[in-house]
Amino acid sequence: MNGMNASVRLSVSSLRAHKRRFAGTFLAVFLGVAFLAGTLVMGDTLRAGFDTMFGNATSGTDAVVRSADAITTPGESEGVREPVDTDLVSTIERAPGVAAAAPNIQGAGQLVGKNGDPVGGQGPPTLAGNWITDPKLNPYRLAEGRAPEKSGEVVVNRGTAERGDLRIGDTTTLRTPDPVRVTIVGLATFGGEDGMAQVTFTGMTQADAEKYLTARPGEAASIQVRAAPGTSQQELVDELTTVLPGGVEAITGQESAAENTDMISSQFLTLFTTFLLVFSGVALLVATFSIHNTFAIVVAQRTRENALLRALGASRRQVTASTLVEATAVAVTASVAGLAGGIGIAAGLQALFPAIGFPFPEGDLVLKTLSMTLPLAVGVVVCLGSALLPARRAGRTAPLAALRETAVDTSGASRARAVTGVGLIALAIGVTLSGVLLIPSLWLAGTGATLALAAFVVLGPVASTTAVRILGGPLDRLRGVTGGLARRNALRSPKRTAATASALMIGVAVVSLFTVFGASLKATMDQTVSRSFAGDVAVSTPSFGAGGSGLSPRLADAVQRLPEVDTAVGLGRGVAEVDGKGRALTVTDPVALERTFDLGTVHGSLADLGTHGIAITQKEADKQHLTTGDKARLTFTDGRTDTFTVRALYGQSELAGDYVITRDAWAPHRTQDADTLLAVSFKDGVNTDTGKAAVEKVAAQYGNPEVQTRDEYAQSSAGGIDMMLTLVYALLALAVLIALLGIANTLTLAVHERTRELGLLRAVGQTRPQLRAMVRWESVLVAAFGTVGGLALGSFLGWVLVKSSDGASDSAFAFALPPLQLLVVALVGVTAGALAGLRPARRAARLDVLRAIATE
Amino acid sequence: MTTTTVTTTVPTAARVVDAVKVYGTGDTSVRALDGVSVDFPVGRFTAIMGPSGSGKSTLMHCAAGLDTLTSGTAHIGDIELGSLDDRRLTLLRRDRVGFVFQAFNLVPTLTVAENITLPLDLAGGGGDREWIDALIDVVGLRDRLHHRPSELSGGQQQRVAVARAFAGRPDVVFADEPTGNLDSRSGEEVLGLLGRTVRQTSRTVVMVTHDPVAAAHADEVVFLADGRLVDRMESPTADKVLDRMKAFEVPS
Repeated sequence: MNGMNASVRLSVSSLRAHKRRFAGTFLAVFLGVAFLAGTLVMGDTLRAGFDTMFGNATSGTDAVVRSADAITTPGESEGVREPVDTDLVSTIERAPGVAAAAPNIQGAGQLVGKNGDPVGGQGPPTLAGNWITDPKLNPYRLAEGRAPEKSGEVVVNRGTAERGDLRIGDTTTLRTPDPVRVTIVGLATFGGEDGMAQVTFTGMTQADAEKYLTARPGEAASIQVRAAPGTSQQELVDELTTVLPGGVEAITGQESAAENTDMISSQFLTLFTTFLLVFSGVALLVATFSIHNTFAIVVAQRTRENALLRALGASRRQVTASTLVEATAVAVTASVAGLAGGIGIAAGLQALFPAIGFPFPEGDLVLKTLSMTLPLAVGVVVCLGSALLPARRAGRTAPLAALRETAVDTSGASRARAVTGVGLIALAIGVTLSGVLLIPSLWLAGTGATLALAAFVVLGPVASTTAVRILGGPLDRLRGVTGGLARRNALRSPKRTAATASALMIGVAVVSLFTVFGASLKATMDQTVSRSFAGDVAVSTPSFGAGGSGLSPRLADAVQRLPEVDTAVGLGRGVAEVDGKGRALTVTDPVALERTFDLGTVHGSLADLGTHGIAITQKEADKQHLTTGDKARLTFTDGRTDTFTVRALYGQSELAGDYVITRDAWAPHRTQDADTLLAVSFKDGVNTDTGKAAVEKVAAQYGNPEVQTRDEYAQSSAGGIDMMLTLVYALLALAVLIALLGIANTLTLAVHERTRELGLLRAVGQTRPQLRAMVRWESVLVAAFGTVGGLALGSFLGWVLVKSSDGASDSAFAFALPPLQLLVVALVGVTAGALAGLRPARRAARLDVLRAIATE
Repeated sequence: MTTTTVTTTVPTAARVVDAVKVYGTGDTSVRALDGVSVDFPVGRFTAIMGPSGSGKSTLMHCAAGLDTLTSGTAHIGDIELGSLDDRRLTLLRRDRVGFVFQAFNLVPTLTVAENITLPLDLAGGGGDREWIDALIDVVGLRDRLHHRPSELSGGQQQRVAVARAFAGRPDVVFADEPTGNLDSRSGEEVLGLLGRTVRQTSRTVVMVTHDPVAAAHADEVVFLADGRLVDRMESPTADKVLDRMKAFEVPS
């Protein structure tokens, strides 16, 4: 017991004496834990906020009546439901226990803002619907103005109005997708907020909604029902179930609200938080290396001290324990501080989000036990785990080491390590290649990628010697003895150099992985457009995810009438179950489609699909065991089933989709009509600019969608990727920052360790600038080593990811190494290295020559 | 009393005039140098002796531009050190002063050859190849040029340090207990080397030591006690020096 107390006392005094040494470790743990805690708290708070918001918004709705079945296509979480008949409203109103019922008509409708640009559409849905006059059934509350009374009048949620700079009394366009002139007469709130997150909502009169948002009047997405006093939600649902026809169901208001919350949670929050958690994982992994390194160096520097303790009778266990107690102290303080920092981050974001137009649901921060304990535990485990090996090494210090001169650490480049590393890398490449090329398997490829990472870490010390020699080669010539000294300092302890660089390597590897993957996605899109799009211009609405309203189907006809235009073909989207499986359909004119898109080899003919013919890609047909002449049963969202004959099989599917039917075949089953893309090819001799201008003029009358040349279209398709990459880079900056802190910390410790040598150099005439340059160049070299390793590893992992995605999906994936971006990554890594060296260099230069040479 | 007087007939390589060095302030202040004036003439091997705490190391540090005086002046050649900033002092040490310390004289990452030319390389110039070549033979390290310091014995390391100190043909070489960490045979080698170099090439060496045997290699010994110059001795022998030193132990 007493012995343990001695360990604790030693640790405390050591911590106090070497506060600076642990600053880097503290920061690494702090940042990682803060990020993790911030993510968890923000996720919980958002989830609770949405719960409250939906609860408030739909508190007056006791039951929702809707059609029972939904068709879900692959890659979509929410299915498309068949509409219900508005006639049901009167049936429902007569049912016992019902106080009121109102149809809820919903479709896509995107408002055009004051400056002519559409509002929203970059992810969250842009909705339009009927303004339900019963305020208790309407999830939106009128905040200003009045409800729409005449055709053309609308209520808009306040957030949307603000984003579009629209006010009550303004007249603007609503794309449904046919442009509708609307006048704003009121502003609404949703569950007390200015909107349901970023979703835009436009409420019109019921007549307008039926006219513009449904294929046939008398259809609604659902019917909202309010119970008479004394009737519970469940009783109401039970009553309704008895009067409803087959295929139509009733659920309680609570269930409906829960479904909505789940939808937001699964579509947005889960994705969002998972995404952030992955990045805090990367940051913590990087931190592990930095922390391990700090403790390893501290233990190495303390060899004599520990040896003296051992010589004086301290047991191995006591020496190990004193190091571990130190680690625990740092871990606990940094984790607690990180937790507080994380809560601060979440609070900051809560304040910041509304300012950038993202309504963060109101309410206090939600601090769940798990979100508090998990980051704390992770912080402590990461820190202690990283310190474990160095602590054990401290305990193994031989008492005699006190008498020996501190030796230069030449371990690291051992033969055993080289052999293990090479073996690992061979295994990694073998497993990966077989996972990618031989038997496509994500599992194998993933294992290979993990092995590759391990191999890089194991090989680090072996590679660092060679790498620093090569990278630093030009330094001798360029920077003379200063450069030479920097290079040799970086070579001094291969293990330490490698461990320092490994942290940065992982950060850079993840950055390059995303860079390569992003570039490959872009190349894929580019290839898709250039391979299958044979038109001259493309008309589309810039949108992403569920947003946007698409193009008016009438635009194709209008453009077709232009004298410059040879073919204008619009691509609509439909949904149906093909032989029981939900599938997305392309609704178009197949003949024109073949003229404007390169569909590859076509078996059969696209000319005579008629109302009961379908064309399928070769690949999909093979999968479903269909061929020309076969019959397929298509079930539409209106519940009707038709038998279609496969008339043609075609090769390429990227833009045209896997299933093509004619507009005539779709017409009886259609929902709100919209085209996603309009491809236009000009007559021979028509200049692209002239043709584009003509198309733009027509398009202006249809809600002003974007008209782009082939190249522009290919580029804008990739626009979302750039946005994504920017976000990823911003998040990875944290990991890179931690890695740089690690470099700075190692250098500071090294400078401390080399005090006498630096003093000697200063005494014999090294100037302060030369000394600073020497430390900075060492930092640059270590960073360059980490960066180069990271680029190599990241590019390899990027290739693996692209190739395994290629194997896993139907569409062909292109692999691209973007030289310019990777060069930028390299430059950033090296520059960051120079920055990391600044402080240690300054500290080294401040050193008092006399004290340095007098140091015992 | 105006400075910049070049009155001495024998030119001085380094000198201090009325040197005072006080460490700390108030009650805890220590007067390490208490008005020392001493010349180190060109072409001479001078030893500074004195008991621990006599101020001999401080005197050397201040004369060599490693430390600054509280009052008084220090000169290397005709340059007054007090007027120089850190950069000029550094350049002065690099170009005109050589150093041999008691231990840790060599940069462990550099080879023997690189250690010898370190001040020249820091200056970015090539130096005098023939001179350095001759030096290498004088110190007898030709077959060790590409070794690292850790592969050399203590005596060999100090010989490398001596070669480094003379490599740039400095005005003066300061040696701080150069044999303090060596056995007597290696120490004798290093001291012989210092003496030979002074006599054969008219260099100037100032050596701090507490060892009478070491001091006997010098042309002259100056004795310091309590921060003051107390005695000088020409053509010292180990016995004479030992006798003189014994006198310090008797409280005066």
